[in-house]
Amino acid sequence: MNQAIDIQSVHKHFGRKVAVHDLTLTIPRGELFAFLGPNGAGKTTTIKMICGLLHPQRGTIDVCGHRMGINGLAGKAKLAYVPDQPFLYDKLTGREFLLFVGEMYRVPAAEQKRIIGELTERLVMGDFLDKLTESYSHGMKQKVVLSAALMHDPEVLIIDEPMVGLDPRTVRVVKDLFRERIKLGRTVFMSTHTLGVAEAVADRIGILNHGRLVCLGTMDQLRAQAAAQHSLEDIFLDLTHPELQPGDGPGAETIPEETPRDKGDSHVVES
Amino acid sequence: MSSNPDATVAILHSPIGVYSLVRVKVVALRNRVSQAIADSPIKFLATTALLGVVWVGLYLLFVAVFAFLKQSRMEAAIAIPMVFSFFFVAMLVMLTVSNAIIAYTSLFAVEEAVYLLSTPVPPRAYVWLKYIETLIFSSWSLILLGLPLMFAMARANSDAAGYYYLFFISFFVCFVPIPGAAGLVLAWLIARFLDRNVRRRLIITAAVLLAGGLVWTIQTVTTEDAASDQWLTTFLLRINFVQSVMLPSSWVVNGVEAAIESQTTLALSYLAVTIANAMFLSVVAVRVVSWKFMSAFDRALSSRGGERSSAASPAVGLAGKVFFYLPMGQRLIAAKDLRTFVRDPVQWTQLVVLFGLMALYLVNVPKLSGAKPLEGWGMVIPFLNYGALSFILATFTSRFVFPLVSLEGQQRWLVGMLPLTPWQILISKFAFAMTVSTFVAFSTTVLAVIMLKMPFEWAVLQVVVTVATCFGLCGFAVGIGARLPMFEQRNAARIANGFGGTVNLVVSVMLVLTMLSGMGAVGYHNRTRGFDESLDLSTLMIVGVMIVVALSGGVAALIIGSRYLRRAEI
Repeated sequence: MNQAIDIQSVHKHFGRKVAVHDLTLTIPRGELFAFLGPNGAGKTTTIKMICGLLHPQRGTIDVCGHRMGINGLAGKAKLAYVPDQPFLYDKLTGREFLLFVGEMYRVPAAEQKRIIGELTERLVMGDFLDKLTESYSHGMKQKVVLSAALMHDPEVLIIDEPMVGLDPRTVRVVKDLFRERIKLGRTVFMSTHTLGVAEAVADRIGILNHGRLVCLGTMDQLRAQAAAQHSLEDIFLDLTHPELQPGDGPGAETIPEETPRDKGDSHVVES
Repeated sequence: MSSNPDATVAILHSPIGVYSLVRVKVVALRNRVSQAIADSPIKFLATTALLGVVWVGLYLLFVAVFAFLKQSRMEAAIAIPMVFSFFFVAMLVMLTVSNAIIAYTSLFAVEEAVYLLSTPVPPRAYVWLKYIETLIFSSWSLILLGLPLMFAMARANSDAAGYYYLFFISFFVCFVPIPGAAGLVLAWLIARFLDRNVRRRLIITAAVLLAGGLVWTIQTVTTEDAASDQWLTTFLLRINFVQSVMLPSSWVVNGVEAAIESQTTLALSYLAVTIANAMFLSVVAVRVVSWKFMSAFDRALSSRGGERSSAASPAVGLAGKVFFYLPMGQRLIAAKDLRTFVRDPVQWTQLVVLFGLMALYLVNVPKLSGAKPLEGWGMVIPFLNYGALSFILATFTSRFVFPLVSLEGQQRWLVGMLPLTPWQILISKFAFAMTVSTFVAFSTTVLAVIMLKMPFEWAVLQVVVTVATCFGLCGFAVGIGARLPMFEQRNAARIANGFGGTVNLVVSVMLVLTMLSGMGAVGYHNRTRGFDESLDLSTLMIVGVMIVVALSGGVAALIIGSRYLRRAEI
């Protein structure tokens, strides 16, 4: 079983609004995947389904071989989710929160201390980690939440807008952290509007529009797909043009899946 | 570690339990208290002292009520147990509803839910945590109101044994989980099986049924020969249901009565019944709610993700026209607040429940007191009506009006950027609060004076005093809300429960007690004259002073809030 995330023909609607339409997407282990799309495209819905918070009306989602559904605890034990609005208990210190998360994932006490020490140093959290989180700026919160997500060394890190509110130095540290995780065979699934970050660090990029995966591939493949366009921004704007209706444009269901090993060989196919 | 298969197995075999989750909350509470003491010990002590004042005030009020009832031993023998039964039945209903509302928001509508449920926290542990939180959150008012009542009851029965105090605290603690469990299941059922549209239709249907029930009750009351000798028998038969042995409230009432009469074994047996049922119902409720909880969570989250109908309801449409008297900028703010209120069931359902119960009580007043409702009770019934109404208003303004200014702090543009002065903004908030509170208070007071068949002059007096109280309470809530804001807090309940909210609650209760004293003075002054005579100068002067106190208090709070807001750095 080589897939970190396996989404098969997933469909989710809220009332009459289709949020995700027949989405099929597999993310192999050891890949940094960037998930792009305009506001309301269905990215957060997809992420919440991967995390087992929402359930698809059709289709299946597996995380590290564990089916996410009503009883998705096994899958949840393998992943960590960092939402775009970082959640912290106001009246806990950052350290207390990290220890709580460590206990939740049954990380041994000595290991907890070691990990907290390492992350405190790398993310420069020493000045504020023992203060109540209610006094934190957005960037500080983001650092603590990211640290909490890494406490149990998850197989899959799912992160929504990872760089918002972070200073340039921390952005670099976070990028490095992501790359290190990939080297260790872990998987990072990142949803972002910061196209530069996606372009710089992602192994593959998927673009969602109106609940449909309209594009999927490496940066080179995306460039090849749209020869006249050179930046991810151009490609993104072209594929998610407001005048495009649901169902217009390329359908990613015809795009062959790839693994990091054969990334260079596969190509993006328009429907 | 989770990437290690053994660690995953360990998590699945021994997932985090409710104990660890509760411990985190306890640590947070400890930090909160330490912070409050360290940051401003005087503020902490003042808050504690003021709460003590409120508690003692309530205790003295209940002592006075029981002393009054005991003046006639025959009436007391019937009335005190009946008051007790009604109190606990009302608590049963109100706690069930408030637990359902709080449980719904706490289970499904918080960021914490999204976070914890994306981790390997088992749904049952999460539901236990939220159940315990809901019980504590919903029962503080019962403790604030109930303990003074029980202490006053003990004092009224001076022969009550010492262990009576231990008994009633035990009864209180064991009673709360019963409506709590019902509320938890109700919240889950709503999330699991009712989508937004069905919920709306259900609420409308319930409102229609309630209105129909009220009409029927009024008709029954007006056609009944309440002066007949059979009245007392009929009355007792009708309200007999509140003392049904199947109702948990009866176990508490009977148990406390047994404790008062030193029947220890009987009191213990009632306590055992209450404890057994509380534990059984809690376990069943949590098991039921945990079962397919994630499906309910999915539905609750999905109903938020869907497209909302933009079709405006009549109330929403009306919001733009209600504030025609305000300049355009202020009108828009007031209308925005009214639309938010109409679209937020948490706010208006609590108001509907509280005033609905009040209206139900009012239409039953003639049944309680015969064809001439005021005969024999002098000024007591209008006094109690006004008191209950004022306390409900104080609750509403403290919980929903006070946080209004703080909540605007998140969208800096309104308080900091809009080309309106702080005074204009506060007047908009005040106009909204006055509109909602006066609408319900005026309707309820008019219903009260009709049911009591009060003479016109006295009816006008009651209505004017009620509107003045609304003015004062709304002025306090908006003004103190601006003077002691919590701009960084997003949760309205936490804003209301913070220091500023507590100050506002205490000041509001003090205003209500002052106004009640005024009403008491009016009643005492007219105790021999009755309602048949016109208002005399002394009565008008007392009422005049009450109105001046309420209006000046409200205006002063608005001015203080406005001045602070002008200087504040948001």
